[in-house]
Amino acid sequence: MSSKEKLPFPGADRAKLLLPGNQYEDFEVGQVFEHHWGRTLNGGDNALFSCLTLHFNPNYFNAEYARANGHDRILVNPLLVFNTVLGMSVEDLSERGGPFLGINELTHHRSVYEGDTLVARSTVLDKRESTSNPDVGIVTWCTEGFNQHDELVIDYRRSNIVAKRGRRARI
Amino acid sequence: MSKAAEVQGRRFFEDYAVGDVYKHFRGKTVKESDAVTICNMVLNSASGHFNDDVMSGTAIGESIVYGGVTISMVIGLAAQDTAENAIRELAMDNIKLLAPVKHGDTLYAYSEVLDAAEHDEGGVVTFRHYGVNQHDKLVFQGERTVLIKKRPG
Repeated sequence: MSSKEKLPFPGADRAKLLLPGNQYEDFEVGQVFEHHWGRTLNGGDNALFSCLTLHFNPNYFNAEYARANGHDRILVNPLLVFNTVLGMSVEDLSERGGPFLGINELTHHRSVYEGDTLVARSTVLDKRESTSNPDVGIVTWCTEGFNQHDELVIDYRRSNIVAKRGRRARI
Repeated sequence: MSKAAEVQGRRFFEDYAVGDVYKHFRGKTVKESDAVTICNMVLNSASGHFNDDVMSGTAIGESIVYGGVTISMVIGLAAQDTAENAIRELAMDNIKLLAPVKHGDTLYAYSEVLDAAEHDEGGVVTFRHYGVNQHDKLVFQGERTVLIKKRPG
């Protein structure tokens, strides 16, 4: 069989791979990324997340309890807020990268309620070569999450192993 | 007030003493349905968490659980005992992912009370949570600070 016959469709051999994200060389200290998409967190997201993770605080899934505790609406689980802000930052920061090492200095600045919309922004704080693996470096960012009123709801520092251009991070 | 509004958790601020260590009763096997659902619903676009084909070429050989799922699952397993009466989650720090978690691994949670202080609205408690897999290997640890209700009356 010729290689042409192996193509899944005519023209597949002309396809240009569209690569997302950045690699170690692309990051400069002080660089700011305004991440794309934005995400409205609805009741289904919040209940699913809180129940799948067994996070049994009724503020996140019992509207009557949330109201009796001084809230107009159900609160969004702060760990879902964290994961959504981090999730939106992944393509720019770490999709091409490597293992996620840790989070420091995370602050929940403001409660998020069902129906609120989050966006995220990250600033490069530090980059350094790995002492043990010449194919990768370690990059640290500060990521901030904002609601639809442009109010800061969360910020934290994240460090990741990030592959250099043309290399692959070992997992 | 309706019965739904009056549900009440069991542990209050007064139940936490600095130095206490708790083993939480439940563990959870992190299924693909848990990890991939959460990874995708929060827009985490890293293929390593949901494309087994790409990951089959790596040393680990299959997609790995997104670290945010590990963090959330361990804190969730600790939540009935450390968050059921939370008024507000305040902060997290020194979160470390120490070993990869694969689909089908089982996580268990432990918590240690690092600090407990009175507050106008209740008390502020700092826990260090530990996540351990089915081989008793530490896969996660991290600190979490939370404002917790005082016992009524």
